[in-house]
Amino acid sequence: MSPALVAALEGAAKIAFVWGVVLGAVLPNLIWVERRMAGLIQDRPGPNRVGPFGLFQAIADILKMFMKEDVVPMYADRLLHTVAPLILLVPSMATFAVIPFGSSIHLFDRDIPLVIADVNIGILYVFALTSIGIYGLVLAGWASNNKFALMGGLRSSAQVISYELAMGIAAISVFLAAGSLRLTKVVEYQASGTFLGFLPLWNCFPQALGCMIFVVSAFAETNRLPFDLPEAEAELVAGYHTEYSAFRFGMFFMAEYLNLIAASAMMATLYFGGWSLPGIHPSGIFGGLFSIAVFAVKTGFFIFLFVWVRWTLPRFRFDQLMNLGWKVFLPLSLLNLVVTGALVLWGVI
Amino acid sequence: MPALTGQLVVFGFASFVAIAFALLMVVQKTPVRSVLSLVVTFFGLSVLAILLAAPFIAALQIFVYAGAILVLFLFVIMLLNLKEEAADKDDRPVQRTLGLLVALGLGGLLAGATLRAPVPPRGSPVGGPIPMPDEIPALGRLLFSNYLLAFEVLSLLLLVAAVGALLLSKRRFE
Repeated sequence: MSPALVAALEGAAKIAFVWGVVLGAVLPNLIWVERRMAGLIQDRPGPNRVGPFGLFQAIADILKMFMKEDVVPMYADRLLHTVAPLILLVPSMATFAVIPFGSSIHLFDRDIPLVIADVNIGILYVFALTSIGIYGLVLAGWASNNKFALMGGLRSSAQVISYELAMGIAAISVFLAAGSLRLTKVVEYQASGTFLGFLPLWNCFPQALGCMIFVVSAFAETNRLPFDLPEAEAELVAGYHTEYSAFRFGMFFMAEYLNLIAASAMMATLYFGGWSLPGIHPSGIFGGLFSIAVFAVKTGFFIFLFVWVRWTLPRFRFDQLMNLGWKVFLPLSLLNLVVTGALVLWGVI
Repeated sequence: MPALTGQLVVFGFASFVAIAFALLMVVQKTPVRSVLSLVVTFFGLSVLAILLAAPFIAALQIFVYAGAILVLFLFVIMLLNLKEEAADKDDRPVQRTLGLLVALGLGGLLAGATLRAPVPPRGSPVGGPIPMPDEIPALGRLLFSNYLLAFEVLSLLLLVAAVGALLLSKRRFE
């Protein structure tokens, strides 16, 4: 086989693996976890009828969505109303391409790095895709020809742009420390030494402030409570997806969860060492599998955090959200950048 | 006639998309759709940048132009609730003629320059993978050494523009 063909096959296998795991295993279970956790926190059983512990509830939910009637409002912009959920869904699926989900696996006499595309613009690629996702929300709101939907769309564009700034500046500090935009390099850097002699060199320790800003901003970027203002059901009916039903609504639902999973994976990669554990240098097939497991556990923790926070904290007001983004997070992220720069300059990290 | 490689196919498709949607942007009557056509054009341009082995430029094209600036365009259009462009009334014949002349002149200039430009050396062997060097540190070094003055002047310009916009919008509210 020619090297080009081998590379193509390798890429296809990795894409199949990542999407298979995310869409086939993580997503349905996440729906179940969310609903059961909601029950647990609100002191009620939650869905427990379909299958053992209600585990098949997600499948029932998805089937229901596919069989419902797909309604398009009479005065909606038909084309944009149809395209909007896709614009949201496609970038959220493409984000996974650059996230390294393991170290590397030695198979068929080849070292296969466990990342679909190790591009040199890693973090920028992720940010570029997230910023495209906003169009889905904004257009859904506009194309529906409904004032609540439009309000939701407007809010989402203002909110995402505001928080993208703080998030981006926090991320700048990460690649300032790692010396590269490549996410594989960021992970290698975090696995490479210790901070102050006893802590792992995970970015969450020297850049605790940046880590906090990134995590909180991720809630705003993924429209999750306490920052789910674009769909705030108490004031906007359902915000940007008020006029969506059946599987088009399902696409919004899916995109929200995919964004959540991608954001969790990014937090694990940028701030918590990715697939690495201090003191353990995985090698061979089992090492590769072990690194995947480590990454899965870290990502799983942040997914759990998202669900936990959603059912614990009440929603912010829109002006509070904007104040927090512009007057608190933006200056703090700049402070974090200066401090990180000083630490790098003095050789502490 | 160059051999039909994967790169050539992608180049053809991306340039077609970029040009077609640029035309759509001008012809389109609904402002929201015009903005969206421009977004698709930027995607075409960013694919071209990747073919030229400049993924950083490609990412910036999407991140800054499509992801930030055009979202603001969309925001303003939605806020003002512009539905349809005003009906085309030809009450400015002078501007129309002048515009056409300038467009033709610029087009001719660009076409002439393109025809005269030397053929650039190929960035990568035909059909091979596009190289992705870690060129970003080099880019940063250039920006902060050779082009420092231009860089600082540009950032000052942006700051002035931002302050000016703030002042204008403040005055309207008061």
